[in-house]
Amino acid sequence: MSGPPLRPLRWRPLAPLLLATGAALLLVAVLTRNPTPLFLALPLLLAPVAAGIAGPRSSPPVRIDFALEGAAADVRLRGAVVPEPGVDARDLVVEVERPASLVGDPARFDYSSTQIGFRANWTAPEPTITEVRVPTVLWRDPIGLVERETFSSAPPLVVSRYPPELLRIGAVRLERTTPLPGETHSRRVGESGEFHGIRPARPDDPPRQINWRATARAGRPLANEYDLDKTGDILILLDARPTPLGASVDERLFSVSRAAAVGLSDSFLRVKSRVGVGVFGEFLDVVPLSTGRTQRIRIEMALKRAHLSPIRAPAERCAVSVRRHFPPGLTTVVFSSLSDDSSEDLSPYLRRRGFPAVVLSPSPLPILSAASHLTPVDEQLAGRIARLVRRDRIARAWEEGPTIDWDDYWSLGKFVEFVRRPRIRRA
Amino acid sequence: MSAPTAGVGLRSVRPVSLALLLVSATYLAFLSGFPDGFGPVLAAVAVAFAAGLRVSSHRSIAGYAPVPVLAVLVLEVVPAPVGLGTELVAGLAGLAFLVWLADDPSRPVGGALRSLPTVAVPGLALGIAWSSALFLPAGTVPLGVAGALLALTLVVVAFLVGRPTVFDREEA
Repeated sequence: MSGPPLRPLRWRPLAPLLLATGAALLLVAVLTRNPTPLFLALPLLLAPVAAGIAGPRSSPPVRIDFALEGAAADVRLRGAVVPEPGVDARDLVVEVERPASLVGDPARFDYSSTQIGFRANWTAPEPTITEVRVPTVLWRDPIGLVERETFSSAPPLVVSRYPPELLRIGAVRLERTTPLPGETHSRRVGESGEFHGIRPARPDDPPRQINWRATARAGRPLANEYDLDKTGDILILLDARPTPLGASVDERLFSVSRAAAVGLSDSFLRVKSRVGVGVFGEFLDVVPLSTGRTQRIRIEMALKRAHLSPIRAPAERCAVSVRRHFPPGLTTVVFSSLSDDSSEDLSPYLRRRGFPAVVLSPSPLPILSAASHLTPVDEQLAGRIARLVRRDRIARAWEEGPTIDWDDYWSLGKFVEFVRRPRIRRA
Repeated sequence: MSAPTAGVGLRSVRPVSLALLLVSATYLAFLSGFPDGFGPVLAAVAVAFAAGLRVSSHRSIAGYAPVPVLAVLVLEVVPAPVGLGTELVAGLAGLAFLVWLADDPSRPVGGALRSLPTVAVPGLALGIAWSSALFLPAGTVPLGVAGALLALTLVVVAFLVGRPTVFDREEA
């Protein structure tokens, strides 16, 4: 048996209320030998049954087209729900769930008999990567007695918002430190990069790789071949260990780091660098080095799924695991909040294992000051002390390797400026 | 977050169905013989209160709007005297209540029209029942039949509430 999955009809709270009232009126009519309550009971008892019969007998299929627009903090959702012919769109109820990391007003809806348009304007207070779920669409009878879930096959959308400076960071020339096993040539033939030549097409060649003009001239399918243009390799490592700041602050800092990691990987993948990702909580979860669109999706999915570890693992374990999965000499960007003394040890261990690490540290101070309940005078004093402690911590981390303090979450100018200067980067 | 989460304005009140409910409920109250003309006032207040609840800014409160109307209809119909006119008005009040429910201001306009297939079924049943009461002779036997029908209805209602999936039809 094929077809859409069956979503059963559900009574809404009003239906049992009407049925119970109708049954009570029937009882009263018999007990008092008065037929008048019977006449009021009749519509109340029959309406829920009629609503069930008059509606669609199985989940009506609907088409949901929705997309995200906007840049940086601005997230605009636009979409439409189109039911199958025979189902009035005005009988549908659409529920759009706003992701927890975004703020803004509820979605607005425009109803017509054939479709429901919806739009929402949200704002990301901080860089974020999150999922916008497919809107829930219910068929509900006009009286509101019964409802049934509809069927749609739209995939969820992923919102990734990160500092705009990261769009330019891909232009940085990375060290090409990782020749592939057995690789001797500096250039390889691949599916993207500079044009290399024409060859007979293979069955697995994508349509965009087919050279249609050459195919028409030769009378047989021919495909383009490109030189694989590899500019370098980079490893993005996220510290997902808990800190004394507490779960909620850790979660927000980790969310900011994940978003920046997505931006960083996007930017380098766009210039065909190989990018690997590691998330170190209790153990190291990795996305191995690779390039291309598939790798972008792989990294996005991995970072979307990544979560904080409840257990604080030793930094040496991370360095050993990184060495096992990635070749040494790889340019490494470590995201760590450096919120306590023990979180500073990741960079030294990585360097000892041969990974030149740059630490990008999202500062917890903006989050802590926003959540503070002190008086303005005390707040000012506490802020000064916190900044001094933070500066001291960053200075100590600099002794082990380059460390960038990231206190304005929507700007990574300092970091981009730093990685553009290879001499400093190698220091 | 859904379409009807936000509060709905007074302009979204659908006057036709509201007037229909108001007229039928107050007339039923008038016929029911409440002391000192208290019935129509009570009915009007309940309908106005329910209409106010429906346009309130809190959707959780708006969900309780049918309760006062239903309560006042029950209060009116229980002491109502036996009579063909009273019976007809009671049935019509029930139908007007359904049409008013369909004109939910938080949903797209035209709910009353779209609910006609649903409202037509109890309307038809009401017509048959009232015609039977009008033309068939009264006595103790019809009351017995009504009792049997009551028992059957209760069983069917209990079955339907427990298993709404009986309305489902799987795709071939």
